[in-house]
Amino acid sequence: MSESDTSPKIQTTIETGDEGRGEAPLNARDTVIEARNLDVYYGEEQAINDVSMEINEHDVTALIGPSGCGKSTFLRCINRMNDMIDVCRVEGDIEFDGKNVYDDDVDPVALRRKIGIVFQKPNPFPKSIRENVAYGLKIQGFDGDIDARVEESLKRAALWDEVKDQLGSSGLDLSGGQQQRLCIARAIAPDPEVILMDEPTSALDPVAASKIEDLIDDLAEEYTVIIVTHNMQQAARISDRTAVFLTGGELVEYDNTAKIFEDPEEQRVEDYITGKFG
Amino acid sequence: METEETTSDQLGRSTALRLQQLKGQLFEVALVAATLVGILAVLALFVQISSDAFQPETASPAWFLVYLGTLVGPTAAFTLYARRRPAVRETNAKAFAAVFGGLLLALVTYAVVDSLSPYDVFTYAFFASLPPALVLAYDRTTEDRTYTGPAIPASIIVGVAVAALLYDFVRGPIGVAAEWILYFGLVTVPAALLVWTLTASRRGRRSGALAGGIVAAGGLAVAVASIVTGANASLLVVLYSAFIVPTGYVLWRSVRTDPEGRVGVAGPFVLLGGTLLGAAVVDQFGIRSPDSFLTPNLLLQSWDGLTASNAGVYPQIVGSIIIVGFMAVLAFPVGIGAAIYLEEYAPDTGLRGRLATILEVNISNLAGVPSVVYGLLGLALFRRTLGFGTGIVVTASGTLGLLILPIVIVSTQEALRSVPDDLRQGSYGMGASRWQTLREVVLPEAIPGTLTGTILALARAIGETAPLVIIAIATTTYSPPSGLFSSGTALPLQIFAASANAKPEFRHGVVPAAAVVLLILMLLMNATAIVIRNKYGREN
Ligand SMILES: Nc1ncnc2c1ncn2[C@@H]1O[C@H](COP(=O)(O)OP(=O)(O)OP(=O)(O)O)[C@@H](O)[C@H]1O
Ligand SMILES: [Mg+2]
Repeated sequence: MSESDTSPKIQTTIETGDEGRGEAPLNARDTVIEARNLDVYYGEEQAINDVSMEINEHDVTALIGPSGCGKSTFLRCINRMNDMIDVCRVEGDIEFDGKNVYDDDVDPVALRRKIGIVFQKPNPFPKSIRENVAYGLKIQGFDGDIDARVEESLKRAALWDEVKDQLGSSGLDLSGGQQQRLCIARAIAPDPEVILMDEPTSALDPVAASKIEDLIDDLAEEYTVIIVTHNMQQAARISDRTAVFLTGGELVEYDNTAKIFEDPEEQRVEDYITGKFG
Repeated sequence: METEETTSDQLGRSTALRLQQLKGQLFEVALVAATLVGILAVLALFVQISSDAFQPETASPAWFLVYLGTLVGPTAAFTLYARRRPAVRETNAKAFAAVFGGLLLALVTYAVVDSLSPYDVFTYAFFASLPPALVLAYDRTTEDRTYTGPAIPASIIVGVAVAALLYDFVRGPIGVAAEWILYFGLVTVPAALLVWTLTASRRGRRSGALAGGIVAAGGLAVAVASIVTGANASLLVVLYSAFIVPTGYVLWRSVRTDPEGRVGVAGPFVLLGGTLLGAAVVDQFGIRSPDSFLTPNLLLQSWDGLTASNAGVYPQIVGSIIIVGFMAVLAFPVGIGAAIYLEEYAPDTGLRGRLATILEVNISNLAGVPSVVYGLLGLALFRRTLGFGTGIVVTASGTLGLLILPIVIVSTQEALRSVPDDLRQGSYGMGASRWQTLREVVLPEAIPGTLTGTILALARAIGETAPLVIIAIATTTYSPPSGLFSSGTALPLQIFAASANAKPEFRHGVVPAAAVVLLILMLLMNATAIVIRNKYGREN
């Protein structure tokens, strides 16, 4: 049996991750995504205010902050999901592997094939489990062994053992946590470079959530993961670096996770993390 | 001084609460009453019409007893038996769809093709299917399938255009062939290809080719046999290919692969057998049947305004089917396309967004415009502006098409809107283009809802009378339309005209019987669409 086959262990400690996570020196790895002076507006309203940050390859980067501070907006800018919102306007740069994703010659469809996304509410297609996972491969015209890919992705998403006998049944028949892992399997099947996750566990119970946390930890071996979360412990457990956004769409502090949670520079960040405001 | 209320006082029923509850109950009673009034009114209408059409009071009690024994009893027993066995029920439904769907398909195909001329239909069908067949063949030889999808509808249009251009050249040579050969090409060949691909996908290529070959050979055998015996070879070939073959295929598969539900295939035969047996018994013992006006004459003859028992509406039935069928071809692609544009492509803001909003508001208003007005529009557009002849099929189809267009658009929009946005986001997030998202995720989800809307549209169109009067569709013609540009006729018009007939047996017999035929026609269309919808719904 392969390693990814073992059922995920449930982590109980709330301390900052395993050794290594969250303590690596800044800029130890290559930058994959870099935002420079990013402003985002919805009509007149500004949702992101002059944000600059670099995101490292194979890191898990957590975005935290109070509701409405622009975390989802920032995330959706990275793979241009905001293009679909008519009133949304983006100024400044976001570079992916050194290329500004808002350049005219960048096709958002091609971009999203490199940067997958998992949403807050599990949204499997009303198709079979197999078709769900194969969806990205199908639309990208993948001509290899689709079944092998499906199996591999489901194993990596720690779902294979639960569904291997019912690949033909509908993805909607799964439980919420299973659906979310199915969505993760779907996102990783076409082998993107970056995976964006917008509160992937907020609709799930703690056991299902911790399975997904373990999964994120594994995914970081091969992918760059950017995750929005409202759960401080979760951010502390799974991320290498944490970015704190505060109201107004401002990036207030961005550092190693350990530093943010143990000794933040800004008083406002400390207040937010300790629950004094938010 | 008042003491404090105790908890039990607070939880008790106050007068205000009781009044509140009474109001709720009254409201509920009123709702139930309204529902009952509606249902009873429709029921009373049906009973009235069908009792006029069938005249059940003229039959002897023995007649009822015979059919109770041969038809109603066994059917009820079978239904009770199947009720608790889902496998049986499912097979039963399949068998019903195959038997009656096949029969219906065969008869409608034969009637329509026969009236439009099999030679013409074959010419167009041949040229329209050749290019897509070539596209599919080419598709197999290449890796790049990007263009196959759009190429197919485009190639069909090209094929039809080529057929229209070459018509004068090819019609002569085709005219040499015997009629049944054309039916063989139109119906047997597709049936054989279908059986071939279905069998090939399950049991491999060789069995597929074998099964397809058997179907085609069977068609030839039927044709030869009927020529030898002097029967109508064309009709028998169509019945064989569209009725016997699908029925046989479904029954054979059910019996072989579904030991639990195989009893279900008996369902349609209980019904058919009961009817035939009843008829035989009634005939044998000379039992008096009702003097029904719904006779084979009514269905198969043309009109006779003097003798009620000779009056038939065959040309009108076929005319209605042709008009509504061609209307569907014209209006559904346009309506569904417009809905997809408005819902999925049109922006919300800016000049184009405002234009789309104006369009949408106007379309919903158009859905309520009286049909007489559409008649005037059709007259002005097709007769005056485009110069089509008076009362021809295309004018009728076009006018009814305009009439149902808003219904199709609005209901398709509704169906598209009900597809959760999460799914679109999910698809875009996987790197799907807009078209891929539409085809893979949105449309499959929207099809059942779209079909519901088109069912309504079809049902409305087949009963429309006023616009057809205005564009001067003929009432009494003695043959169904012979082409899309020949003069049309429609069942509701004949009903309308006959209701003014001086003889009471027309007004109180033939008219209700023809109305029953119209209702059955409508119900059959609805049933077809519902079957398709349910099948689609289940597969997803
Ligand atoms: N589609 C939209 N149209 C207009 N304004 C929007 C839209 N989406 C978000 N906004 C606005 O942008 C701001 C940031 O929203 P965003 O969804 O990014 O916040 P968030 O940090 O993800 O909040 P939450 O934690 O509640 O998910 C909010 O003020 C919100 O009202
Ligand atoms: Mg959010």
